[in-house]
Amino acid sequence: MKKTDPYGFMSIFYIVMKLPLFVKVTLLALLLFWVTHAPLMAQQLSPLDKPITLSLKNEPLKQALDKITTASGVRFTYNETVANSQVKISIEAKNQRLENVLTAALSNQPYTFSLLDQEILIRFDAEKLKKPNAVPAANPASNGKFTVSGTLISKASGETLIGATIKVVGASQGTSTNEYGFFSLTLPKGSYQLAVSAVGMKNEIISLMLDGNKKMDLALEESSKELATINIVAKARGSRDLSNPQMGVEKLNIQDIKNVPVLFGEKDVMKTIQLLPGIKSAGEGNGNFYVRGGGADQNLILLDEVPVYNASHLLGFFSTFNSDAIKNMSIYKGDMPAQYGGRLSSLLDIKMNEGNNQKFGVSGGIGLIAARVNVEGPIQKEKSSFLFSARRTYADLFLKLSSDSTINRNQLYFYDFNLKANYILGEKDRLYVSGYLGKDVLVAREIADINWGNSVATLRWNHIFSNKLFSNTSASFSNYKYNINIKEDVNEYNIFSQLRDWNLKEDLQWFANSKNSVSFGFNSIYHTIKPGEISATGNSGILSQNLQNRFSWENAVYASNTWKATDRFSLTYGLRISAFSILGKGDYYDLDGNGNIIGSTSYASGQLVKTYYNLEPRLAMAYQLNENSSVKASYARNAQNLHLISNSNASSPTDKWVASTNIIKPEQANQYSIGYYRDFSEHQYELSAETYYKQLYNQVDYRNGANIFTNQPIETQLLYGKGRAYGLELLFKKKAGRLTGWISYTLAKSERKIDGINNNQWYNARQDRTHDIAVVAMYKLTNKWTLSANFIYYTGDAVTFPSGKYQIDGVNYYYYTSRNASRMPSYHRLDLGATKQLKQTKKFSSELVLGLYNAYGRENAYTIFFRDKKDEPSQTEAVRTTLFTFVPSISYNFKF
Amino acid sequence: MSSISRYIGYLLIIGCLFSSCEKAIDLKLENAIPDYVIEGTISNEAGGAKVLISATKDFKDNNSFNGVSGAQVSIENNGTAYALTETSKGVYQAATLMGTPGGSYRLLVNLAGKNYTAHCTMPKAVTLDSIYVSQSKYDLNKDKVPRTFAVVKYKDPAGELNYYRFVQYLNNKKEKTLFAFNDEYTPGQTVNTILNYNNPNDDLSIDLKKGDNLTIEMQCIDAAVYKYFYSLDNGASGNGNNAAPSNPLTNIQGGALGYFSAYTTQRKTIKVP
Repeated sequence: MKKTDPYGFMSIFYIVMKLPLFVKVTLLALLLFWVTHAPLMAQQLSPLDKPITLSLKNEPLKQALDKITTASGVRFTYNETVANSQVKISIEAKNQRLENVLTAALSNQPYTFSLLDQEILIRFDAEKLKKPNAVPAANPASNGKFTVSGTLISKASGETLIGATIKVVGASQGTSTNEYGFFSLTLPKGSYQLAVSAVGMKNEIISLMLDGNKKMDLALEESSKELATINIVAKARGSRDLSNPQMGVEKLNIQDIKNVPVLFGEKDVMKTIQLLPGIKSAGEGNGNFYVRGGGADQNLILLDEVPVYNASHLLGFFSTFNSDAIKNMSIYKGDMPAQYGGRLSSLLDIKMNEGNNQKFGVSGGIGLIAARVNVEGPIQKEKSSFLFSARRTYADLFLKLSSDSTINRNQLYFYDFNLKANYILGEKDRLYVSGYLGKDVLVAREIADINWGNSVATLRWNHIFSNKLFSNTSASFSNYKYNINIKEDVNEYNIFSQLRDWNLKEDLQWFANSKNSVSFGFNSIYHTIKPGEISATGNSGILSQNLQNRFSWENAVYASNTWKATDRFSLTYGLRISAFSILGKGDYYDLDGNGNIIGSTSYASGQLVKTYYNLEPRLAMAYQLNENSSVKASYARNAQNLHLISNSNASSPTDKWVASTNIIKPEQANQYSIGYYRDFSEHQYELSAETYYKQLYNQVDYRNGANIFTNQPIETQLLYGKGRAYGLELLFKKKAGRLTGWISYTLAKSERKIDGINNNQWYNARQDRTHDIAVVAMYKLTNKWTLSANFIYYTGDAVTFPSGKYQIDGVNYYYYTSRNASRMPSYHRLDLGATKQLKQTKKFSSELVLGLYNAYGRENAYTIFFRDKKDEPSQTEAVRTTLFTFVPSISYNFKF
Repeated sequence: MSSISRYIGYLLIIGCLFSSCEKAIDLKLENAIPDYVIEGTISNEAGGAKVLISATKDFKDNNSFNGVSGAQVSIENNGTAYALTETSKGVYQAATLMGTPGGSYRLLVNLAGKNYTAHCTMPKAVTLDSIYVSQSKYDLNKDKVPRTFAVVKYKDPAGELNYYRFVQYLNNKKEKTLFAFNDEYTPGQTVNTILNYNNPNDDLSIDLKKGDNLTIEMQCIDAAVYKYFYSLDNGASGNGNNAAPSNPLTNIQGGALGYFSAYTTQRKTIKVP
């Protein structure tokens, strides 16, 4: 392996990084944190106990609260629903405790109060509204049931709202919007008040007289930041949906991750999810991840419903998703709904913004190594809109500044574009077109270059068949390819590989009645895989190869029902049936036990080689213990027919995707999990504990001594076996107040048993990691400043270190006894971030984001290798490579 | 194609521009029970019959050859066994024993009551047509001077699988890099292969300079030996990017490390112009 020095630009970086200033900044930030928090720890008179003398008559709520603040010095925290409330209150108090005064004043109003730090939190409380005069659901003699359905959007942008909740005030019925903002709720005839809430939006209470089927399209207002009050972004109760049987899922809104500090200041969903329990980073600064002991290829990553095969840029340091264009993301840790399949470990479902159909807007940012721009606006107001976003890194431009020709001839960059448009065709139809194009280029002094990228295009059509039946049809194309070019003086080599999908998907959601909602549909994907094909010019004698493409057709049908058996118990049961057909044209081989070819069969174009069927049952249930807690259990079976064959530690573009063949069987997994969920203090805190056991079958690994550059069928280099993984995941979240964030802890084990590896004994998977802790804190210091910090600690991954050495032909080599029996050193680091709101008007806003990655400069091991000592060749040494210590970042974001 | 993985490794490092700080660390490594290492060779030249027997050492030990004495070593051909005698600790030789291309050889080692055997057929010799040097346009030494490498030229015979190993001697000093190739991508072609290697210590004495005496030895090896060298280089050289280091695939039966190779040898020497 060639050794290169960190070049010019990086040495500047180095000096900057090593400045003691950053040490000071770290200390200062920590100090600030303590200073602002110290008073909380001191014993003080509770604000609720403060005496107050005040007389108010029919004063609007906000003014009344302001007057209480003037009179008592106690401050209030509330959101805009409260600030804009039309409610008027009266107070007549002479030296009374504030608690008693507020209790009396709010007794007949839909508001409650509670203590939040040293302030009083005023919340809208739908429960206190008058009970609806609906015909009780229990009365079977009611005059039938009707359905209210519609689409929820944001008033400001026209973007549909995903996962917004619609709840009947004072009753247990409710629903939430699907991924296209559609909802359907069937209720007995009657009049209702519906509480509608969504992240970042003002809550609304809608009165509804349900005497027939109703259509209710709603535009919610954003909870604006201009208000002088502090916005409490805590979702309404039930936000996490204690009653929903779905478990092992984490949903993040782009707002949630905005302030989490990241490497180089590039907001990145794929790195933020690694701070959640059960999701482990694939290495320092790496966007790839492992879920519950599975491999990096066992995650299905969907961008607007299309699978993305290599979701990282620059060897994993950046994800392919431009966070400016992302609306929402959910990650399912193995308990995927029946709608999804094809990967064993997880589903990361990323939805992009559709584009503002109300007004034209531009946003963007300039950071240390990348710039982004995002343009969106209506094509026809309220009918259609577009969105275009682009991003490019420019670290390589710094390389060009160098006068040293060995440096300035290197190139290292990526760019990506997202382009979307959508049309509302009518009341019932909406059409979406979207495209993504990303490319990485890595050129090393004209010797070698690698470029690789994804391109994705989708056409989606939403159709509302009836107020109970919603359909989404999507047709998409996805192409992932890489090209490696190596020049060796007169000789030049080229390696080309490609994975292309045509995908048709139909998903139907049938909101059958108030107790059952059914989803069903099918998915059909045609894969074409071109394995790494080598061509060469020059006198090397290397003959250009023409490798056969591999064709396969993946089909699945599914149906699933969520049944609300009682107010407390819900059950989701479903089945996915998948069929993976390997098709000609091509040659398929028979091998002996040592991987030698003993025969082959040729298939004609379109001829069926083999079909693998898999039955994938999914079962999930939830039992709500009380208002604040529930238990859930689930079972899921998944099958996977595309496998990434890799033998390197870093994410390398040469990792090979291969489809199942007559020899490579579909990977399968069974996952059993149970969990306990509890909310505290008016849902400001939530705790979840999940534990799982997973069995894995037909796991693939390279043989010992495999040749990864052979043109022999890849099967000759592979071995197959089974695996098991189990663990415990804890998550404690604080969702409201000035300080928000979470603490996550994972205890896990992941093992494999493959005949031919480790003497056929169980061994640790490479990604096996025992303890993993993440602490994420965001603190709203003032209206202008937000501070944030992450702390990450994990014990080392399993790794194979030598347990001796010997000489062959006078050179030292290392002796290994068992696979992955050693551990990398423990990893820990602290990241700090600060965001300053610079300018904020209706027309223009901007912010400055400062960050410091690895704030105390821990030298974490990226890799460890072994060699003869340079200055003392009679000895060997272990050498640790470290990637990032003290990486400062600064970026400027704007929006107009 | 091993040069390709070398270049990819190079690219990965360039990719990690933002950094890469290397530091020797004190790592607690498990010490294994020593295992025997047998390195047996026979060539079509006198002096080529040589078997080195050693034992593995702990990582922290020094790098000296840990020879093992007292083994009974012989090489058998067509039912005749030729004994090798121990000339220094762990080194067993039969000075006059020579193999012939196409001949089948069996190594027998009896050590501490256990038998180790290996079988290898000496391939036909492929002619090394010429050697010459080529200056790299891109690979510079620490003084920013382009490095020079040897190039070997030979015609691969068509219709059969061939495996080669090259050893470079610069002013009679052996270069440690393992150059092992197969003809998977070059069947029946005239092949020009650059023997390029790293110089991690920027030691100018191991780089080719004008006037240097350059000798290249070409060995034609059999498939199992090629597999051994390939897996040795990829799996056991201590490289930190390999996710699954492992012991190489040996052709020795009985549970020892190492290999037994019957190979043909030829040399060419030039003065670096």
